[in-house]
Amino acid sequence: MAPKVDLSTSTRERCVTGIQGLDNALDGGIPRGNTILVTGSCGTGKTTLSLEFLVHGALDGETCLFISVTEASSKLLTNIIPYDFFEESLIKKGKLIFVDMPVVYERLGLNKLEFSLEEVDVLVRAVADIVKEMDVKRLVIDSITSVCYRLRTQEKIRDFILKIGATLSSLGCTSVLVSEISPAEERYSLFGVEEAIADGIIFMGNLERRGDLLRTLQVVKMRGTQHSRTKYVLDLTSAGVLLVPLLKGGSVAGG
Amino acid sequence: MSVTTNVAEKLLTLPESSAVALQIRAEHYFDVIRGILDNFAVKKELDSIYITSTIPSQSIVNALQVLEIDMSNIYFVDCISQIMMSMASKHEHTIYVESPTMLENLMLKVEYLTKRTEGKNDIIILDSINSLAIHNNTKILSEFLHLLVNNLRAKKAYTVIFSMEEYRSEDISNMLNIVVDETIVAAGE
Ligand SMILES: Nc1ncnc2c1ncn2[C@@H]1O[C@H](COP(=O)(O)OP(=O)(O)OP(=O)(O)O)[C@@H](O)[C@H]1O
Ligand SMILES: [Mg+2]
Repeated sequence: MAPKVDLSTSTRERCVTGIQGLDNALDGGIPRGNTILVTGSCGTGKTTLSLEFLVHGALDGETCLFISVTEASSKLLTNIIPYDFFEESLIKKGKLIFVDMPVVYERLGLNKLEFSLEEVDVLVRAVADIVKEMDVKRLVIDSITSVCYRLRTQEKIRDFILKIGATLSSLGCTSVLVSEISPAEERYSLFGVEEAIADGIIFMGNLERRGDLLRTLQVVKMRGTQHSRTKYVLDLTSAGVLLVPLLKGGSVAGG
Repeated sequence: MSVTTNVAEKLLTLPESSAVALQIRAEHYFDVIRGILDNFAVKKELDSIYITSTIPSQSIVNALQVLEIDMSNIYFVDCISQIMMSMASKHEHTIYVESPTMLENLMLKVEYLTKRTEGKNDIIILDSINSLAIHNNTKILSEFLHLLVNNLRAKKAYTVIFSMEEYRSEDISNMLNIVVDETIVAAGE
């Protein structure tokens, strides 16, 4: 049996992301069992951050699963190999697992462009079965937005995220759902419902300051922890994602 | 005593994680650099991270080569070459930041290098507060210094901030006084 996750206290066990700056901002990590949204426009580093989260988990002995919806997972591997801390044995030992969502759809016979409520259930159960079977402790779905396109209605999206969140949480699995938005978006998710249901939101974006373009990250919400709401500037490096607080300097326009 | 040895000896009296302002006259510029990188850092077996916003790192590299200083433990964060369009040759130990206004990126590159050089203590040289002050306002620069110095202190690194005698101002002195433990005047005796 997976350990029960206690949602009632403020000192919940943490899933340490291993990204130092992020763990500091989260006061120790993501509360275990949370389902969070990593959201931002294209090229802001969502996939990179999510992959690093899994690599650290795998290095720590947890089984980590990456479900790739948009890109072939073989391509993603080339992103993590340059990491100083990556070990190829993680994949051989089955600590870091990649699954292509289109393959899952195919196995389940989900070949329609729009899923019914029953098919949503089938999909949630399929993911839950993989998580249970392999005792997955960290899961990334990249991206949830692509899955949502197949659900179409707000009602089905809500149903899907609520069910998958509850199921994964009961299994003690901490999950990152990658969400894609356009840069001008006024909200944190394409369909609007994802952000309301998720336990946490990490927002990644670009900030222009006097002609300089900076990559930024902000924890917008995170149930179960006192977190920083500061905007950070980030760098994607071979030592992983690095963060420093955005300097305010008294006079930042658009910050 | 030469400026070079004088600077090195003064630095040697400091405990680790010290942050100092180093007041320099332009004519002593390379003597001071040598005193830090060749004498002090070598004696203390430190990795050196040299942030330049004053002259392109390549010019410093060239000078160090002439002085036959071993560069295997010296790294550069160069935030001036790109805006000066002088990126003719890239040194393998140099990381470029697009502009001296990208202070966060400067910090991120320092953070990256301190991670890459784990195992040995570091000295970070900031050359100079005056050139950064040309590109940034006092408020943001103060905030930057404060964050940088505190981060480096936590890593037990030495921080040396160059302050050019010829460009002294009250703003700059105030800014430095808040973050440094000591001010050293580089001079021969
Ligand atoms: N270690 C690294 N060093 C330098 N650049 C990197 C590193 N990792 C990723 N990048 C760059 O960062 C950019 C964004 O990466 P990433 O794919 O994670 O963004 P994303 O938000 O997932 O984008 P998309 O919405 O297109 O999926 C890429 O263009 C990539 O080239
Ligand atoms: Mg991506």
